[in-house]
Amino acid sequence: MSTRGLWLRWSWRDLRRRWAQVFAIALVIALGTGTYAGLLSTGAWRTQSNDASFARLHVHDLRISLGEGTTVAEGTLARLARGISHADALTGVRERLIVPTQVAGPRGLLVPGEVVGSATGPATAVDTVSRSAGRALTAGDDGRSVVVLERQFARKNHLPSAGTLRLSGGSVVRYVGQGQSPEYFLVSGRQGALPFLSQRSFGVLFTTLHNAQALTGAPGRVNDLVLTTRPGATDLVAAELRRALASAAPALTREVTTRADVGAYRVLYEDIKGDEQLWRVIALLILVGAAFASFNLTSRIVEAQRREIGVGMALGVPARKLAIRPLLFGGEVALLGVVAGIGVGVLIGIPLRSMFTDMLPLPVWRTPFQWGPFAQAAALGFLLPLLAVAWPVWRAVRVQPVDAIRVGHLTGRSSGLARLARRIPLPGRSYRQVPVRNVLRTPRRTVLTTLGIAAAIATLVTMLGFLDSFNATLDNSEQDLLRSAPDRVTVSLRTLQPTTGPTVSAVRELPEVSAVTPGLMLGTSARHDGKSVDLVTEVLGADAPWQPHVVDGAASGGLVLARKAASDLHVRVGDTITFEHPQATPAGLRTVSSSITVAGLHPNPMRVFAYLDAATARAFGLAGVTNLLTVTPSTGTSPAQVQRALLGIPQVGSAQAASTMTAGMRGSLREFLGILTIAAVITLLLALLIAFNTSSIGMDERSREHATMLAFGLPARAVLGMAVTESAVIGVFSTVLGVIGGYWLLTWLTATTVADVLPEIGVLVSVAGDTLAIALGLGVVTVALAPLLTARKLRHLNIPSTLRVVE
Amino acid sequence: MSNFDIALAVPVDARAGAEGTRIDLDDVCRYFVVGDTTVKALDRVNLHVDDAAFVVVLGASGSGKTTLLNLIGALDAATSGTVRLAGTELTTASRAQRTRIRRHTVSFIFQSFNLFPGLTAAENVQFGADVAGRRDADAVARDVLEQVGLGARGDHFAHQLSGGEQQRVAIARALATGNPILLADEPTGELDFRTGVQILELLRAQAESGKTVLVVTHNREISRVADRVIELSSGHIVADGPPVGGRAAIDDLRW
Repeated sequence: MSTRGLWLRWSWRDLRRRWAQVFAIALVIALGTGTYAGLLSTGAWRTQSNDASFARLHVHDLRISLGEGTTVAEGTLARLARGISHADALTGVRERLIVPTQVAGPRGLLVPGEVVGSATGPATAVDTVSRSAGRALTAGDDGRSVVVLERQFARKNHLPSAGTLRLSGGSVVRYVGQGQSPEYFLVSGRQGALPFLSQRSFGVLFTTLHNAQALTGAPGRVNDLVLTTRPGATDLVAAELRRALASAAPALTREVTTRADVGAYRVLYEDIKGDEQLWRVIALLILVGAAFASFNLTSRIVEAQRREIGVGMALGVPARKLAIRPLLFGGEVALLGVVAGIGVGVLIGIPLRSMFTDMLPLPVWRTPFQWGPFAQAAALGFLLPLLAVAWPVWRAVRVQPVDAIRVGHLTGRSSGLARLARRIPLPGRSYRQVPVRNVLRTPRRTVLTTLGIAAAIATLVTMLGFLDSFNATLDNSEQDLLRSAPDRVTVSLRTLQPTTGPTVSAVRELPEVSAVTPGLMLGTSARHDGKSVDLVTEVLGADAPWQPHVVDGAASGGLVLARKAASDLHVRVGDTITFEHPQATPAGLRTVSSSITVAGLHPNPMRVFAYLDAATARAFGLAGVTNLLTVTPSTGTSPAQVQRALLGIPQVGSAQAASTMTAGMRGSLREFLGILTIAAVITLLLALLIAFNTSSIGMDERSREHATMLAFGLPARAVLGMAVTESAVIGVFSTVLGVIGGYWLLTWLTATTVADVLPEIGVLVSVAGDTLAIALGLGVVTVALAPLLTARKLRHLNIPSTLRVVE
Repeated sequence: MSNFDIALAVPVDARAGAEGTRIDLDDVCRYFVVGDTTVKALDRVNLHVDDAAFVVVLGASGSGKTTLLNLIGALDAATSGTVRLAGTELTTASRAQRTRIRRHTVSFIFQSFNLFPGLTAAENVQFGADVAGRRDADAVARDVLEQVGLGARGDHFAHQLSGGEQQRVAIARALATGNPILLADEPTGELDFRTGVQILELLRAQAESGKTVLVVTHNREISRVADRVIELSSGHIVADGPPVGGRAAIDDLRW
């Protein structure tokens, strides 16, 4: 028998003897490394899938979009683009007409949306529409009321692959298929820049340019141009376009934006960075929890070999050879953990993949196995148990052999912190002191176990806390919006209309309507000290049924900003900022910059909302016109009935009940719940494994104490009860630490990652009672009950042989 | 108090009496199957202890003396034959009944003491009284600890006591139960001569106060102070009677 073979056989027997504990430790490592690898693979998946999807559908490099309600003759924008000096850098040019509308469908479906009409032709396509159901549009569909419906909107509203819909003004369209276009991979709507609005509540219809012109009553008109350029030429072309527009139509309100300004593009890519940071924190937390657990447990198993190490030292075996057996043990456990971790990572990847493809339905999804994250995770997962073994081995070989060999009463070292507990005796029998004394007797082990479980609980609190925080933020916003006139319907018009004109009169005359208050909704932005914030500014008359609640300053005499906006701009009430806003000119609306005072602050967490009083707006030359109506339903009429009634009025772009404004975001949050559920299950499993393994090893270490108690006639259930109590004490410490740690992490991530990815929302950090109850349930109840899994072991304990000590 | 002056005060509630201290083994066998081999740890053992006595069970390693102790202490079950303790038959007793017997009839003293490291000396002793359901367990514990000469060390943990002191605490724990039968497995095995003698004196005193004390040992010298010596060899009783040469005084022991 070779020496190598002896060591391997010996370490295999060590593994076999403690197979349940080894399996549990390996599973702990596997959960940590597998979760780390699985979660961090999603970033690469999403990046590759984004790249492929945007490339396949030829997302634009540049876009010219005219101000709301502004159009030019068809061909104008294309000619302007082809007239620049670097026109040879253009690879694709497409004019479009994009018009807001209401979309009504089966089963009472009625949501805002828009019609996107693109010019067709032989030139290279830009922002094409992929087909996912039904058929694509053909040349024969031009001149007919035929559209392709945005795929996610159709899916989430359970619409068939083909059907009919009604639009504002009563137009009926037939959709022949479902598809996706790059700008609408994620829908953000035209009213402001709220990201992640649920696609369920915004219906996009793709059609030909001429169909869109016919449907929206704008024959021969366009308001949008999208372009693709040769690589590296985008900035040059953008600058020339801006010059050309300023020269050709200085009074025209227009914007030249790049691909990076596409809401869906920005969110899809930035989201990855933000999510990756979040996943990395969560994965590291789980890995840290697994690390503490495997360190604690593996080192205790090796400490049980202390006497054998001492015998070896007494026989003259050099320390490096003594280390072979425990290191082999640690290495084998590590290898098991790493191999299992690959399996766990692949398993976790399956539901993650499904969830992401459901939440972010891109036309191309690439989810190849990511060797990078797995290699990182494997390296960590392999090193941790080895380090866990190295430490007790190093300690064991440093003592005098005689101390390592001592048995029985001579092995007693200290009582740890148990003597502190002696000063606070618990009422009842003497053995009721045992659980707390055991916790304090071995402070290092208690701390490591507590930290391991606390890491799992902190992860759970952080993830559930995100949901709670977003829900609390939306509740806060909803509360502000519904403070008064909760039944009101906000109607946005396609173009500016005279307040005494036929459109406003038509709305007033509806029997479902009791009162109409004209106002304005303007796309604006505020700048100060190098910072810039996009705003949707509402101009409300003094008689509007709802007015912003001002918590600082006043509601008139300037701009009323959200507290978040003011904080991001570093301004206070009374400060002057630069305000970009549309101004009426004889030629139409143009964007100008003015100085304006910050008159007041409102508490709504949505940064985008800003308010101006009517008197201030008069200075913008917008007196007597409106594009926003606040409609009060008549008695006995619901907001939904008002929305239906408005469908027949052509100039109505959208009609939204105040109570449903946050519905879109709540829907998106519910989709995110799936990913958090996976992570929650993993943390639950991890905490249970840590607790089980701790109990199991604790049972082994205290087998002689337990055998003594049983020999004195204490029933097994009482001994088990002590183990449960001891576990519960650790569970309480872990839960408190985990909740505090989780809340701190939630606050930090909200202030950093969330603020970067979702700057438009002032997220309120909040942890709901349900989350605390779950943490308590996991941290205390589950951990406390873990020793029950060792009940059989205790009941079958061989008392006589456990009490005998080998001489 | 010198090392040899151990207070031997009136023992606490011994629940002594012929019935309470009686041990009966009839035709008892205990076999262990190890792979293909059957090990006969005890083979057709007959043993009766009628009155309170200091009984030493003597034998070399592997003679079956510890197996005998485990059967009497309801820690193990005989393969065949009957075991009765204080009139109660153990052979057919359920696990719960055995536990009750260990709680109210026998108390153990182990070679390596097996004190609970998280409890102080006084609390370890109180443990015995608590498990046996005695009222005023803490007062009982204090009294018994005084009896074994460790009244001043009650607040110390096990690792702060010497081996002899730990064994005295273990004896006090067994005494605190008030059970009529004490079973000691090599109680002096880990102690030096002087300390071992102190322990024997304590155990002898308990026998004289009305308990049955059964001491298992391989040390023939210890058997000299017994009332009765039962010698085992290969699972059989090969001798059963008073010590050869008559009972010696503890002071005369030498090992």
